Amino acid sequence: MSLPSQSAQSQIVVFCGKGGVGKTTVSLALALKRANEGRKVVVVSSHPLRELAVAVSLDGLNTRFPVAAANLFVVHLEPRDLIAEVVQKTFPMEWVVNSILSNRIYQSLIEVAPGLKEFYFLARLQQLAERRAEASGTPDFDLLFWDAPSTGHFLGTLRAARNFETFLSGPLAAAGADLARFFSNAARIIALPTTTLEEMAVTETLEMCAALEKEFQLAPSAVLLNMASPLVDAEATEIEKLQAAVGAPSREGMRFALDRGLLERARASDIASRLRVRMVTIERVRAWKDDLDLLDRIGQALGAAAPA
Amino acid sequence: MKIVVYLGTGGVGKTSVAAATAMQQARAGKKSLVLTIDPALRLRTALRLNEGPLEQQVTLDPAPAGELWAALLDVRATLDEAVRQYGKPSSVERILSHPIYATIADSLAGMQELMAVERIDQLSRRGFRHIVVDTAPSRHALEFLDKPVAFADLVGSGWVKLVGRTYRFVSSTGIASLGRRTIDLYARIESVLGANLVRQILDFYSIFVSIAEGYADRAKNTVAILKDPSVTEFRVVTTPQKALRDAAFFTEALRARNFPLGGIYVNRVWVHEPAHDSGEGIGRRLMDWYRAVRESQTAAVNQLRSQYGGAAREIRVIGELERDIDGVEALERIAVELRMAQGA
Repeated sequence: MSLPSQSAQSQIVVFCGKGGVGKTTVSLALALKRANEGRKVVVVSSHPLRELAVAVSLDGLNTRFPVAAANLFVVHLEPRDLIAEVVQKTFPMEWVVNSILSNRIYQSLIEVAPGLKEFYFLARLQQLAERRAEASGTPDFDLLFWDAPSTGHFLGTLRAARNFETFLSGPLAAAGADLARFFSNAARIIALPTTTLEEMAVTETLEMCAALEKEFQLAPSAVLLNMASPLVDAEATEIEKLQAAVGAPSREGMRFALDRGLLERARASDIASRLRVRMVTIERVRAWKDDLDLLDRIGQALGAAAPA
Repeated sequence: MKIVVYLGTGGVGKTSVAAATAMQQARAGKKSLVLTIDPALRLRTALRLNEGPLEQQVTLDPAPAGELWAALLDVRATLDEAVRQYGKPSSVERILSHPIYATIADSLAGMQELMAVERIDQLSRRGFRHIVVDTAPSRHALEFLDKPVAFADLVGSGWVKLVGRTYRFVSSTGIASLGRRTIDLYARIESVLGANLVRQILDFYSIFVSIAEGYADRAKNTVAILKDPSVTEFRVVTTPQKALRDAAFFTEALRARNFPLGGIYVNRVWVHEPAHDSGEGIGRRLMDWYRAVRESQTAAVNQLRSQYGGAAREIRVIGELERDIDGVEALERIAVELRMAQGA
């Protein structure tokens, strides 16, 4: 948990936003694309419960994307395990370790200690970003993606390192200060807010970006607009023509698709004008065979516009 | 007493479906309350929801035969109320101003689940007999049944009392009077977590213990009610894309706890017929896309019916709204769809 050397410049790409907007899917899709291009990618998730971490299945990866299979790593960090590891490192004797880990007072302290689990999670994330092969000094991974938990828990995680100082003194508090610095360093943290173009998700994205800026001096690098209508990126003149042509009640499906599409378009331009960063539109995928196929299609939809 | 619990992952419109269900019950002459977690701003305004422990009656036009009430699950406010109501008068202020208390509502994983049960108990004490519960947007929503039981078991086993007594003993007599093994253990835990933090938490537990015990008793009663299938019905809300995955997960989660699956509600389905003469250019592209997405939605719903038609009491489809009407109007429309689906 020491300060990383400035030359390392390992980056963490963070997919953050409201629950249910597709952070896991989009981060895996981009990871698959990059891994298939030959880059070593690790996707780290941190959902509070392990069984929720990867609901997206990578079945068939080895046969369908052999290059990606060799380069793609998906890791779930379980905070309780990380803390247990610290105990194991601190005490060399196994019976001491076991007596602590099985102690109910210890177990309940872990649950209620404010920010403790988040603290160890961030520490491990930093470690992963800094890790490199001993001989060559090259990073273990070319890209580190953090599939972050939904907004509230994500901001809470980032705040943990900072809040930890209030409760602690000594080496852990110093480590907390280090972590706080690392996770508010714009050169290290690439924030990619991910959202659908629905009202609640957009509002939450804007609030999250404001909090990132204010508390951590982090500005988003781009915003990913997931499950968007084809109208979001269409030419204004084409849309005018379409609006003029639609109107008859017999074209109900068209009316619906047009209304929703225009709404999404308005929200996309609202986000763009408020955040002043690049918008990357991911059109809603029409149909897919299985999870891996969905990831592949989203990767294609991201195309050359993909950040990171 | 009738309780409907909605389960579902994020972004499926669970809160709206829950509120519409309560509205439908109110229209049918019941005094019904929807307990929600985190409603969108306009729904919040429509339901007149404030932060805090109080429930609000929602006025409808035309007025319903019964009454529609709404309440927000505010974890901190629910906890505050429990402390004030059940804490020893001498310790209430000490608890509320304790630095650990300030963070416990946010930091204790599952606090929302623990407090949901407490809130249902508060509401039933206030005379509500028809409650619709909108759970936290996650796949582990059923934790709100598991956590309180686990918590009650812990409290019942006396460990909280032990921590409390040990702490009071240590702070009055000094650590040297403790047994050697206990000192060793404390010293080790402190060396991992930091002494200051450990002492703060122990201090907090020593005064919080009576609240925790009272909570555990009430939680056991409430969970027993929630586990009674003649009182409580569990329903899953999902979207076409997530339907099969969510159905598999929640069916199994409910089965593992011996709860019957009430119904699966597939929300946000594109129900409108695509246009056939979509012209050229963007209109053509839009309609091709719309038709393809709609076809894959229909396929998912059909597969859901064939796979879970037997397990679920019912499977219903709710159409996606074309514009932003998140307020009472949107609820009325969903309520109409729920009624229509019921009649069908």
